[in-house]
Amino acid sequence: MRTAKRPEIRPVALVAVLLAAIGLLGASAPMASAHARRAAQPIAIVAAENQYGNVARQVGGAAVRVTSIEDNPNTDPHTFEVSARVAQQIAGARLVIENGLGYDSFVSKIEQAAPSRARKTIVVQRLLHLAPSTPNPHLWYRPDAMPALAKALAGALAGIEPAKAATFQRRAARFIASLGPWKAALAAIKRRFGGSGVAVTEPVGNYLLRAAGLKVKTPFSLQTAVMNGLDPSPQDVAIEEALFSRHEVKVFVYNVQVTDSLTAQFLADAAHAHIPVVGVYETMPIPGFTYQSWMLAETRALERALADHRSTSSL
Amino acid sequence: MNALFAPGFFTNGIVHSALIVGAVVAVVAAVVGTFTVLRAQSFAGHALGEVGATGGSAAILAGTNPLWGFIGIAVVAAAAIELLGVRQPRSRDLATGLVLGAGLGLAALFLYLGTTSQSTTGASITVLFGSLFVVSMQMVPSIVTLSIVALAIVVVCYRRLLLTSLNPDLAAARGVSLRPVSALYLLALAIAVSLSAETIGAVLSTALLVGPPAAALRLTKRPIAALVAAAGIGVLATWLGILLAYDSYTWPPSGRGWPVSFFIVVFVFCFYLLAQLRGRKVTRG
Repeated sequence: MRTAKRPEIRPVALVAVLLAAIGLLGASAPMASAHARRAAQPIAIVAAENQYGNVARQVGGAAVRVTSIEDNPNTDPHTFEVSARVAQQIAGARLVIENGLGYDSFVSKIEQAAPSRARKTIVVQRLLHLAPSTPNPHLWYRPDAMPALAKALAGALAGIEPAKAATFQRRAARFIASLGPWKAALAAIKRRFGGSGVAVTEPVGNYLLRAAGLKVKTPFSLQTAVMNGLDPSPQDVAIEEALFSRHEVKVFVYNVQVTDSLTAQFLADAAHAHIPVVGVYETMPIPGFTYQSWMLAETRALERALADHRSTSSL
Repeated sequence: MNALFAPGFFTNGIVHSALIVGAVVAVVAAVVGTFTVLRAQSFAGHALGEVGATGGSAAILAGTNPLWGFIGIAVVAAAAIELLGVRQPRSRDLATGLVLGAGLGLAALFLYLGTTSQSTTGASITVLFGSLFVVSMQMVPSIVTLSIVALAIVVVCYRRLLLTSLNPDLAAARGVSLRPVSALYLLALAIAVSLSAETIGAVLSTALLVGPPAAALRLTKRPIAALVAAAGIGVLATWLGILLAYDSYTWPPSGRGWPVSFFIVVFVFCFYLLAQLRGRKVTRG
């Protein structure tokens, strides 16, 4: 061997220092948050998506402390990867809210890894009595999803803190009532434009579109391909392009959080055919929105597109 | 007719550009790849392709087309191979393997950062396995230009390339300097590998690079004939792959088509097997 002892030790020491530095960096963040939680009194709620977290905050008020895992509107929640910090937050929560339908299956995995009798879990899919094979997981766009969640939250929180049961019930009822303007806006679209065709990239906003009486004409195989990050078949892309060129749709609704060259191409096709576009979000855009104002803003954007041919690319 | 060509095959814009891009890339890969096989540098080609995943994922993270990442990293890696001049197979394989592992590790990091901080859902599949059906029309001029550069290198250096590939000792004896030819060839290889990484993915790019030439060299030993046969086999495999991928629209399980890269690689492999059988008959007869 040509290598002497000294040059061998140096790289080892360097690597050790590097690894230690990475470890310290990684460890400091979760330690700080765990410390904060112990000091705080409110009921710890973890919501897999921030739209559910927002409803929990509205129903729970000052009695709860809500952490939302998915709250970055610039990323695609489907590709979320769990960090140690998220795992710790879920393990330490009293109440966990998840969407279900495989959309946030990482939550159930962590819960199974850290079982606790003190922790309750609300799965929106189960609240709505949906089969696990339901193809479209974006349940929060259903007008009946959040009222059901608000009621379930009031019940679950009352179980944890019975003294405040009446408060939780009142706040849930107030939240459900505040969805009125959104439902009215949906009904208005249904009256004026019911049955109109709509093209989409993904099934994100489909429940809302259906509630507004609109027909999604994009093949579902294209929607699932885009949703799952696979390449859509040329046939489906040709069908979608024909929807624009033959003016079979009045609006093009696309997912702002998943934009690739294909979405850009569809946007160009829609612009070429003078079809207005509406951008929808997979998680609640922050700051400045509540669940109600977000849904209302999306619906108003849809109405503007249908009535005035005006596009809304971002809220 | 409909049984062979599913409805809309000849009118679909995506299929058109896939056929054109696929053919151009297959020709470049086959021509450059013939010398790769002759010089017994398939492993270098494979390494350049796989390390391309690092560049491709970095490009996606930076928000540009993966092709620029493929090409950037491949040129750097090719220069490194040339400058370090690791000629002995044993140390070359070891060094390449280690660099490859580190490169793919970086690719894993870039893909993680890309998919968790940006809206790039399909990045991993695009970089690793590619798809001719998503090569956008804007990339066509760049792809054609790069192809011309790679082919021009081969045409200009053809004689010296052939001599240094087939008989490096004779080339040296005749005073043909190995270094510039070898450097230019590695540049052409980097381009060819990047182009096939863009079309069938970083992991699969070697298939298009060495598969058709290996089959062609079983059929004929004459260099020009081998080049033409390799290009023909490459284009045929690519076009048949596109056709079957298009036809697979109605196949189970999901009714949305199988990946085109899969079919291309399968056809390349089948052609190699066929050539192997035929080549054996020829040598026996």
